[in-house]
Amino acid sequence: MPTDTKRVRGPEVSQSPSLFLCKNAVKKSTASNDARVDGRQRGQVDVRSVFVRCGLISQAKGSAYIEAGNTKLICCVYGPRETERKDETDMKSGRLITDMRFAPFSCRERGSWIQGSDEKDLSLMLLESLRPGVCLQKYPRSQIEVNVMVLENDGAVLAHAVTCASMALADAGIEMYDLVLGCSIRQEGATYLIDPTFLEENGYNLASGSRENLGSLTVAFLPSLNQISGLQSDGEMGEDTLTGDVRTCIEGCFKLYPVIQQALSKAVRRKAPPSES
Amino acid sequence: MSTKCDRLCSTEDCMPGTGVYLRHGYIYSSLAGYVLRKNEGEELPVISVVRETEAQLLPDVGAIVTCKVTSINPRFAKVHILYVGSTPLKDRFRGTIRKEDVRATEKDRVETYKSFRPGDIVLAKVISLGDVQSNYLLTTAENELGVVVAHSEAGAQMVPISWCEMQCPRTHAKEFRKVARVQLSICRPEQGPVGGVHPSPLQQGPLSPSSRNTQLPYL
Repeated sequence: MPTDTKRVRGPEVSQSPSLFLCKNAVKKSTASNDARVDGRQRGQVDVRSVFVRCGLISQAKGSAYIEAGNTKLICCVYGPRETERKDETDMKSGRLITDMRFAPFSCRERGSWIQGSDEKDLSLMLLESLRPGVCLQKYPRSQIEVNVMVLENDGAVLAHAVTCASMALADAGIEMYDLVLGCSIRQEGATYLIDPTFLEENGYNLASGSRENLGSLTVAFLPSLNQISGLQSDGEMGEDTLTGDVRTCIEGCFKLYPVIQQALSKAVRRKAPPSES
Repeated sequence: MSTKCDRLCSTEDCMPGTGVYLRHGYIYSSLAGYVLRKNEGEELPVISVVRETEAQLLPDVGAIVTCKVTSINPRFAKVHILYVGSTPLKDRFRGTIRKEDVRATEKDRVETYKSFRPGDIVLAKVISLGDVQSNYLLTTAENELGVVVAHSEAGAQMVPISWCEMQCPRTHAKEFRKVARVQLSICRPEQGPVGGVHPSPLQQGPLSPSSRNTQLPYL
């Protein structure tokens, strides 16, 4: 586990003051079960509206920014570059390298600059979700780097990272079979919450009587090819619930698709206004 | 205008160009850009998707590339590939020109320090993408390939006088290079024999001390 050796920690018996803070009492929603804190409905495919923009970082080959509720992510793509390490057989096709980081100010408690193990996990999941979408055999002996930075974590980070990364790849002109969109869902008992916020993901507003079927699911989906490229599940769910949730996530991705396409068209038009037909 | 994975048309209507891929008999776009339909004169028009920013070309087998020599040793010369055709690359790719690929004739009598020097700009052709351990393999074994720009020891840009020599305009010293036969008017018309018999290195007379560079890394 890499540790931060440059900061002074204090004596070994010291503990972080945040342990002693009393957590702010979260208002339990005793109101009707259908309303969520931000006004969306349970049990319906009600994804947060997104703001997406491509091409904001001039130094990178391609970049994208996504904002869904309070979750904010930014992604840069570099490449195709020459591969530095030649230890794998990557002569016929290129390599995709993903890196996902949380900014220290992104979560409620300050994180560290050193990549933790969950960031490494998320990077690997991002890689698995993106790889089927990119035409890597058109880039032999090259590597494409995708760097995602989470500026504010308000839930469904992996799903939005997948969407943001595929938009940045499209903005960079990397050939892809299809855009990869991500959608996240949280199952609580009989109802589900699509595109959960951070509080909903960590079960702060548990509706009563939801002891079984408690879990969350993230799906990465290629809409036009109708293929799932990534699936990440947490918690305990019954088989029917799980398959139902996968279908719901696919519906959520379809709702997101026209927005992403429109943002890409705008970005292409901005970069090169159509001179002739 | 098309974004990723728009179904453009079926393969009966058009031929696929760049930026598209085929699937189940239909042509889909793989880039976000503008759709171009060109009539090439064959039966079917060619459809391709282009972005206005320079298409990221990778050096492909058979492509003519412009590269800069970074280091030489008696067996090969290492280069940085700068341009593929006429499009500049954003990132440098590394390449190798082996001793036996410098010239088409008398491959075993080639001396790399008489063909290239570090800093020269060379036109070469890609012969192979290389295997796991090596870089792109390039060759200059054609008349039109070889050194196009070189600087002499004195620092001036040299003028080619034959296929194997260049002369510095300031000091008039001649240096050995494997010169490319570029079809432009700035070259002087007296090009020596390109291929075939050439004076053997032993008969060329004493090399001027300026062209003997003792700082070259030798194995």
